Amino acid sequence: MILLQITNPGSNVSLVLYFGTIGMLALTIGLIVFIIFHQRKVIRYQLRLQRMEQDQQKLLLNASIRLQEEERQRIAADLHDDAGPLLATARLYLNENLVNLDKTTQLQSIYNAKSIIDDTIQLIRNISHSLMPPTLKNFGLESAVNDLFQKISGSGSMNASSRFHDYRERLQSENELIIFRVIQELVNNILKHSNASFIHLTQNTSGTKFFIRLHHDGRGITQNDFNKLNKSNVGLGLKNIQSRLKVLHGKIFFEKDMSQTYYKVTIELVNEEEEKLQEQE
Amino acid sequence: MVFFFLFYQRNKTEGFWVIFLYCILSAVADTAHHHIPKVYSFYIFSSFTIIEYTLFALFLYLSFKGKIFKYILLFCSVLFYVIAAFNLIAKRSETFDSLPVSLEASLLILYSIFFLYEQITDPAIFYVYYSKKFWIVIALLIYFSSTLFLFIYAASFTRQEHKTYWTINSLFDIIKNLLFAVSFAMKKNKQLKHPLEDLYPDTY
Repeated sequence: MILLQITNPGSNVSLVLYFGTIGMLALTIGLIVFIIFHQRKVIRYQLRLQRMEQDQQKLLLNASIRLQEEERQRIAADLHDDAGPLLATARLYLNENLVNLDKTTQLQSIYNAKSIIDDTIQLIRNISHSLMPPTLKNFGLESAVNDLFQKISGSGSMNASSRFHDYRERLQSENELIIFRVIQELVNNILKHSNASFIHLTQNTSGTKFFIRLHHDGRGITQNDFNKLNKSNVGLGLKNIQSRLKVLHGKIFFEKDMSQTYYKVTIELVNEEEEKLQEQE
Repeated sequence: MVFFFLFYQRNKTEGFWVIFLYCILSAVADTAHHHIPKVYSFYIFSSFTIIEYTLFALFLYLSFKGKIFKYILLFCSVLFYVIAAFNLIAKRSETFDSLPVSLEASLLILYSIFFLYEQITDPAIFYVYYSKKFWIVIALLIYFSSTLFLFIYAASFTRQEHKTYWTINSLFDIIKNLLFAVSFAMKKNKQLKHPLEDLYPDTY
């Protein structure tokens, strides 16, 4: 308290007083200037971060738009190149019936037209199935993934297997579709680029978290590669995976196995319904 | 005071009435100091110090968001009142209450720093200088930090020294009142759109 009240000052009071006052004032002004500049700096930094995030969002959006366009082009090509000519041929056969009155020829052309229409139906069914797999819709993610892996294995090019350890309750159908598309994209990438001899998929849950792990023995990518590809203009499929998982607030990790032999891709999702239930409890 | 009434609509909330009340009491105390015999000046100074501290501490208490700062303020206030009361009773012979005023200045500087710290760490606040309270706190900080040394020495001044050095107090008192006026005149919602909102106009 003595420091806060000088009762017996020395001879240099004015010096101490003026320097003390100027010093305190300088400190205060310095503090104010520091606060203002520090805050501006923080805001500038946040702005830069937000811009980077916005750029990333733009990349993802562009990727998903391009993929949508590619999908549309594929469907248009399928319809135009396959269904179109088939239906045109069937029309020709049916037209022939009007011109040719010979019973046998008429029957033959009707039979041909019927078989062409059957082919067209099958073709349209295939297109429809590629858009929304019926197994996924009717029997869920587990069956759809098993089906997909059986088809890959059946082709003989690769040994593919899947195992769902804890999938008693199905996720929401739109979430299942997103996960299925991500798995499809990953498997597609492995088939196209990795030169692997096997793929193995496992599903697990831990608390409110839902995991899907893919192992393969081919050439894969690590998290660094994934991040780099995500920021570049290439890697459309990976950007698509990223944007799909963003919808589910999910994460994806690319890594090499402990043994450095296999590549591992882990999809981590939070089961929001279960999380809400646990919070309520 | 004039600015408070001129922009009353902008100042009727957020505890600005405390500062307005201080302005009135400050004017009354200054007038009383010049018209009342010198023997009573110690009581006027001492009482005014307690009132001044109470009002500024109340303003800052209302402005703090963090509980810890509020508790610190309350604890220090108890300490201040004990010392101020003791000083008022025990040191009647002195002309100026150096100890309580210096303690008041130190505490208010400390609270002002707490307030500024809260402002810069709160992510919801951008550009602190768009806030009316910021200018009040800056006024307090500048006034009390500049007059701290003067208050520490004030009890030992001779009449001549008092006249000479008291200019410092008058000068910073004017600056403080000017900053109060700036704060009172500022628009309540002068805060511009958050810079980050511009990036996502539809999402914020």
